[in-house]
Amino acid sequence: MDALIEKLKGQIIEQLNLVELKPEEINPDSPLFGEGLGLDSIDALELIVLLEKHYGIKIEDPKDGKTIFQSIRTMAEYIKAQGKS
Amino acid sequence: MVKAYINGTGCISSQDTINDQWFFDPVVEPNGDYYNAIEPSYKEFIAPNLLRRMGRAIKMGVASANLAIKQAGATKVDAIITGTGLGCFEDSERFLLAMLNNEEQFLTPTSFIQSTHNTVGSQIALIMKCHDYNFTYVHRGFSFESTLQDALMLFSEGKETVLVGGIEEHTPNFIILNRKAGKFKIFDHHTAFWKPSAKGIQMSEGSTFFVLNKTKTEKSLASVDGIQTLYKPATSDVILQKLYSFLKLHSLLLTDIDVCLMGFSSDIDFDKQLRELLPVIKEETIAAHYKHLSGEYHTASAFALWTATKLIEKQQLPEVLAISNKKPNGIKHVLIINQYLGINYSFTLVSKC
Repeated sequence: MDALIEKLKGQIIEQLNLVELKPEEINPDSPLFGEGLGLDSIDALELIVLLEKHYGIKIEDPKDGKTIFQSIRTMAEYIKAQGKS
Repeated sequence: MVKAYINGTGCISSQDTINDQWFFDPVVEPNGDYYNAIEPSYKEFIAPNLLRRMGRAIKMGVASANLAIKQAGATKVDAIITGTGLGCFEDSERFLLAMLNNEEQFLTPTSFIQSTHNTVGSQIALIMKCHDYNFTYVHRGFSFESTLQDALMLFSEGKETVLVGGIEEHTPNFIILNRKAGKFKIFDHHTAFWKPSAKGIQMSEGSTFFVLNKTKTEKSLASVDGIQTLYKPATSDVILQKLYSFLKLHSLLLTDIDVCLMGFSSDIDFDKQLRELLPVIKEETIAAHYKHLSGEYHTASAFALWTATKLIEKQQLPEVLAISNKKPNGIKHVLIINQYLGINYSFTLVSKC
């Protein structure tokens, strides 16, 4: 799980062009939206594409996004649960 | 006749134009085969959360608009008008490349959202919280000229302060493809711009913004007294006759012009008509040029207006700009004759106020 979290951190930094951040500065349990990383709705779309492109996971129901994208850890857990890690 | 008083300017170009002292410093020649903008540290102008999504055109636009607003001391503007030939080219290219490379799948929204031509104007509006008139002109070599014409019309309708600007960015792919097509050539020497021997322009990029006011204030640096565009004039004589008529509208003769900034682009064909005009200009006024400093791009006329404003503000014609050997005795009127690809010609009259 830790390896997957670290990999996700790098992919998120690259995809969202968070050039000011280093992976070690991101707390995997911090919220991705609002507080924490402070991402917004455009970033949510970028994260959906990230999951599809790198892990072959398609989120069919947008409502699921709220749970999946709570934090980097919840994303990693979802990827693992889908058997795609 | 309505005038536009220039109360603030901001210029990012292939020269160090952010630095006010640059005007008196030596020319920065391209450090590669072609001209690249000398970009500032954007952190000073744009919040990091906004910066991460912006392409270079947007960053250059927002930063130069910021400089102009700061110099004018403006807290709000009544309109934002931008002009660009290519728009946010880098993001357009990124989106199209992603589409090709990923076989039309996994397309991310950011580069698509940021790729439209009006993104620069809208980002400035969002940052300034300006919900008023916002327009972007994409009229090839008349893009910046159209912003000035629109600003003058807005003033006649009662608007007081308008932000106008011209923005252009290029990418390595854009340069490579156009060079293969023989449209661009590599940088030679800056004097070659008005005595070229070959075809091809030296493509460049940049962003120049102006805060224009309907009425003169203590901040006013110069005034734009008039602008006229000419599409594909048949001969240089047609240009000259139109120029005389344009000046007559402002009760001026060519001999009243202290400096004439000419848009030589270093292409032997595109500059033909300006070359034919040069003897008359040299005879009746003082000829100078600017694209050896800025390079060529759709909105290089915005750089010319910035240069004209500086000439009036500093009351000096730096040697590097001059074609004529004469020196002006004070600078009251500057005339810009711009041309783009021998198709789009424009006259802009800038005066001391």
